[in-house]
Amino acid sequence: MVKTYKLSTDRNGLIDITPQVEAALAESGLSDGILLVSIPHSTASLTVMSPWDPLGLEDVHDEINRIVPTRIDFKHQYDTPQDASAHVKAAIVGHSRSFFFEGGKLGLGHSQKIYFWEFDGPRSRQFQIQFVGQ
Amino acid sequence: MTEQRDNFLSQIRSLGELVKTETMAIEARARLLLTTPEIYGIRQIILTGSGDSFFAAVAAAPAIRAWTGLPVQPMVSMEASRYIDHGVARESGRNRGILVVALSNSGEGARVVEAATRLRAFGALTLALTANNDSRLGKACERVLNVAVPSGAPAPGTRSYVASLLGAYLLGIRIAEVLMTKTMDEANALRKELTDLSIGLSGLSEKLEPIVERTVGGWAGFHAANFIGSGPSFGTASFAAAKLVEAAGVHATPQDAEEFHHLDFFVDNPASVPAILFAPAKALSRTRAKELVDTLTMIQRPFLVATDDPDFAPADRLLLLPATSELFAPIVQTVPATLVAAFWAHAIGAKHYRGHAGLWAGAQGATIVRNSPIELD
Repeated sequence: MVKTYKLSTDRNGLIDITPQVEAALAESGLSDGILLVSIPHSTASLTVMSPWDPLGLEDVHDEINRIVPTRIDFKHQYDTPQDASAHVKAAIVGHSRSFFFEGGKLGLGHSQKIYFWEFDGPRSRQFQIQFVGQ
Repeated sequence: MTEQRDNFLSQIRSLGELVKTETMAIEARARLLLTTPEIYGIRQIILTGSGDSFFAAVAAAPAIRAWTGLPVQPMVSMEASRYIDHGVARESGRNRGILVVALSNSGEGARVVEAATRLRAFGALTLALTANNDSRLGKACERVLNVAVPSGAPAPGTRSYVASLLGAYLLGIRIAEVLMTKTMDEANALRKELTDLSIGLSGLSEKLEPIVERTVGGWAGFHAANFIGSGPSFGTASFAAAKLVEAAGVHATPQDAEEFHHLDFFVDNPASVPAILFAPAKALSRTRAKELVDTLTMIQRPFLVATDDPDFAPADRLLLLPATSELFAPIVQTVPATLVAAFWAHAIGAKHYRGHAGLWAGAQGATIVRNSPIELD
């Protein structure tokens, strides 16, 4: 069963959703298997990053902005310049990640957290989790 | 005369449905009207028109200013045409960055056509907000936002005024969204707020008609009136005064709540000059409008207050409106504004526009505003 979580982003950048994913795993009662975290948006992404230096999170976001800056000459003008660049960023980074879990524990390393990556905030958003396991 | 009143009421009662059905249709036409680079090139917005179109510009300008952060100026068409530079054409390049939104429902008012033509030639980006793309104004401007809505029963323009307001608001929301002074979520929330005004408008006329008819019936012997409002509501006050002139032939003037204390306060025979105050509960001018209620009472002016605050005035003076943000209040205020004109005209047996007969025969077909020679040199 897909579990859906809502969040309101207050800015562009990376937002840690690891606690919600771990809580969802605990609630599932599953011990071993795979879970998929997915976001039903085309201007935000999902990624894994180290949480230890907050400036590192800013570096990642700054770099994607350097590669795909918000500009006014995108052909897609239906929404906003930020929205147009956000589509490109989201297409590059991707909208989902899968993780194994074993013994009820999420398969993340010491320096890994799961981040919702907002490219067109502030927005009302969602992410979804699906489990396959026993 | 009963048919004339009923036609007017028919238009007024239809405003909720108009807002409900037309808002997002106009939004769809406004969305891609200006390119993103064009919007980022805007440094100033001039909203120009005459009559109801100018009043719609006055009513919408504060909202567009607040949302976009740009200087936004409502301007009568004569000023935009001949006095913006006092007749001296500036170098074209210096006018780049000006967006001229020229409002005219028919698109045939000579002065606004002249203003759009001259300002376009001087380098401004021109956009017609009209119900007629093939009109002279539509052809004079580089872009057209069509705000045509199904016509109502013949009466002084009411549905067309609301359509102009919708067009101006939606254009402003779109510019703010692309400039990112409003996020997409915020812009969509504003569009929803605008559409949802239809809920409060539904049945509003029917609710207000008895008190307006009763009160205005008692004013039938009077020959002048004041309509008062500040900010966006000054646009409503101007529109309301125009409707009373058009429908009843009664001399009516709009005034700002502050300026009233400087000027209209001193009108002689105050008990024979009614005042209608438009005072949204959340208006930035609220405290001054409250003082004005005391002032009107003190000088024995007959008055009504159109507000969404039930405590703003005594119950027998109150035209209670649905709760609305100050920036969108002009849409809802259209109902009490036009009801006063409809019932006043009915009470005195006046023909709208004096029947376009006798001394007023020259206004037939709006020729006095359409046939004025256009000066382009």
